[in-house]
Amino acid sequence: MNIVFVLIPLSLVLVALAVWAFFWSVNNSQYDDLDTPALIPLSDETSSRPAEAESKTP
Amino acid sequence: MPALTCFHCGEPVVDDAPLVARVGALDHPVCCIGCRAAAEWIASLGLQDYYRLRDAPPPRAVAVGDYSAWDREQLQRMYVHYRDGGEAEVCVLLEGMRCPACSWLIERALSAMPGVREIGVSVPGKRVRIVWQPQIGTLSTLLGALAHLGYVPHPLDRESLNDVVEREQRASLKRLMVAGLGMMQAMMFAIVLYAGALEGIETSTRDFFRWIGLLVTIPVVFYAARPFFAGAWRELRARRPGMDTPVAFAVALVFIASIVETLRGGAQVYFDSASMFVFLLLGGRYLEMRARHRAADVVDALARLQPAVAERLDANGVPESVGVHELRTGDCVIVADGATVPADGELVSAECRVDESLLSGESRPLLRHRGERLIAGSIVVEGPAQMRVARVGAETTLSAIVRMIGRAQQQRPRWARYGDRAAGYFVCALLLVTMITAAAWLVIDPSRAFAASLAVLVVACPCAFALAVPAALARSLTVLAQRGILVLTPNAIESLIRANYFVFDKTGTLTERTLEVVSSESVGRFPVDQCLRIAAQLESGSTHPIADALRAAAGCAEAPRARNLRAIAGGGVEGDIDGEHYRLGRAQFASTGQADDDDDDRVVLADSQGILARFEMREALRDDAAATVARLRGAGNGIEILSGDSHARVEAIAGKLGVDEFRSRVHPEQKLARLAQLRAAGMNVAVIGDGVNDAPALAGADLAVAVGGGAELAKSSADIVLAGDRLGGLIEARVIAIATLRIMRQNLLWSLVYNAAAVPLAAIGWVPPWLAAIGMSLSSLAVIANSLRIRAATSRAPAAAPAAAPSLTPVPA
Repeated sequence: MNIVFVLIPLSLVLVALAVWAFFWSVNNSQYDDLDTPALIPLSDETSSRPAEAESKTP
Repeated sequence: MPALTCFHCGEPVVDDAPLVARVGALDHPVCCIGCRAAAEWIASLGLQDYYRLRDAPPPRAVAVGDYSAWDREQLQRMYVHYRDGGEAEVCVLLEGMRCPACSWLIERALSAMPGVREIGVSVPGKRVRIVWQPQIGTLSTLLGALAHLGYVPHPLDRESLNDVVEREQRASLKRLMVAGLGMMQAMMFAIVLYAGALEGIETSTRDFFRWIGLLVTIPVVFYAARPFFAGAWRELRARRPGMDTPVAFAVALVFIASIVETLRGGAQVYFDSASMFVFLLLGGRYLEMRARHRAADVVDALARLQPAVAERLDANGVPESVGVHELRTGDCVIVADGATVPADGELVSAECRVDESLLSGESRPLLRHRGERLIAGSIVVEGPAQMRVARVGAETTLSAIVRMIGRAQQQRPRWARYGDRAAGYFVCALLLVTMITAAAWLVIDPSRAFAASLAVLVVACPCAFALAVPAALARSLTVLAQRGILVLTPNAIESLIRANYFVFDKTGTLTERTLEVVSSESVGRFPVDQCLRIAAQLESGSTHPIADALRAAAGCAEAPRARNLRAIAGGGVEGDIDGEHYRLGRAQFASTGQADDDDDDRVVLADSQGILARFEMREALRDDAAATVARLRGAGNGIEILSGDSHARVEAIAGKLGVDEFRSRVHPEQKLARLAQLRAAGMNVAVIGDGVNDAPALAGADLAVAVGGGAELAKSSADIVLAGDRLGGLIEARVIAIATLRIMRQNLLWSLVYNAAAVPLAAIGWVPPWLAAIGMSLSSLAVIANSLRIRAATSRAPAAAPAAAPSLTPVPA
């Protein structure tokens, strides 16, 4: 039964990680537009991704 | 046979041999040169997928204007933000952005341009934020590219870069997430404790789980619930307990009680209840906020109405492009055909026609002679016009209208917040009962005092009480948004039920913004339909509403044969067809001065020998206008039409709809006065409008409804926006609002009955705290489950699926 004293703090660490990841994604515009990305795979065009140059900027 | 429609904008193509745009390996028909340019440019960028992905056709592409004025330093200082490292940033409002495919197209097209570093498109805000290197690309080329795509770009001033809406949205999303995760964790640990209470648990293990529960609830209370505490603090300082006060009290009390229990090893903790409560309330607020943000704000509307650039004549009479803020009284300005008047002033050139429909409600362009007044924000339809600036900036009529909106909004009677105040009283009473319980038990049996008073606090569920109204409201907002009805103010649903007098604006609300030909009469040697065809030929190059109406009336499309077409300001058009010279327009113009009939509603066709035909024009009634008015009247409501338009036109529309009460030529101030008069007579007045001239009236009504697609300014002071241009949404909204009220009453009744039954039991010590916690959760859940029935209650009402709905849906259905 003592294993819970390890597992539960571990789960809390995981939750904290999840919250951090969520905050990071919100701050990086991942949730600003939820509709457009769904259309991108429908595009036939597979070659150049003009967004690449832009994603490197901080 | 279905008419050909334009590949780019979806409007019907009128000619037999239309223009074609080559996209991919196929030729597609387009309606105009602007559309062809847009389609071919999109194709040349390899972005033709746009046509497959979009779900709403964009507006007709406008001829690409000259944006070089935007490279002037004075303008850039106001609109462009220069970042460290030499990058420039600008926020542009895009007229004509409709769906996610637009944002995809803009992102793709712009990022291929030289110097562009970053693009952020917001479809609901209709904005795009561009970061670029000014050494490589100029602002004018960026704006030109956006115009090429078919949008009308309006750069917004620098303050809008600091996007309040975006920050608010992100912050509340984070809060919601923290509360949700915290709730899940707290519930998980609570289940351990419940199971332990039933089957036995070691005290040390129990305390461990309690401390963990406390740990996961701390961020929920101190981070996620902060808006409630901040709101409660504001309300308390204003001595007006509202909705936030009971919420904050409940959260704080349950949290503090649980900490005390944890510290002294008491019977029960309630961390799960606290975090669930916060999560549910935040969820409701999040939906409410999303609906609110979807409406355009005053800034957007002004950006559309007020041009930023004007053509000023210098001392030598040479025009130069300057920023509107640089204009001074006495400057001479040229306003091109189709451009917006930049400032108030008087006409210097002989005459022109201006469209003031956004400002005065007058549906047809007005003729202005030399020396007469032009108002900023109106559009020169037949120009160009040369004018002398009289008033600029904050002194213009347009600014005065905006200020009037602000004033009327302040005058709006604050809707009595019965529910809030009741909840405030409830919390006060609850605290009192708790104290009495504690005092009584201290006298009778001090060892049971804490458990009993805690049980009272918890079992007397302020959650059910506090959630009764917001849960039903949040649900109905979602259902309404799915049907293209956006509710912007919290009181709108209640006001909609109370409204018993509906005042409609005419132009653009009951009627379409287009015209139709009601009667054609031939007086010459040709039959009527041939006259119509000639008229349509003459108008083939025009985008004026009259031209559209004539083309629609002519029906079949022919290749343009007219030559030497010439538009005469203030008159009409003339041109040659098959060697014969024709004139079309106002009677005086067409008959070269022989007729003195000067009816704006009549268009006359004449050739060199005399008048051939007369066409009567009228505004087209909206499809659902008659049904909506009939339904409202059938429910016993008063109907009235207030319009700035002429008596004859208003009378015609009122007659068609069977409305007896109508007033014409009403100014904005008179509208406000009439509303005040109606309200003094005890009516609950709802105003339905769309124009800027309605905006003060909208703000002064008990309930303001704006029909989407009209001027954005009207939306900004509206309580409800009917998106997708459907007037019938008003009826649907009313049905849903009534269902909402019923559910709300049930919720309140339930929580009152529950509390009235449970509190006395808890006070006399019959309810152990764990049972109190279960009762509290169940009563909250009952309220939420009941609120979810709002869809079921209204699904019987048949509703045509609105075209605009998918992009407005906040949650997947």
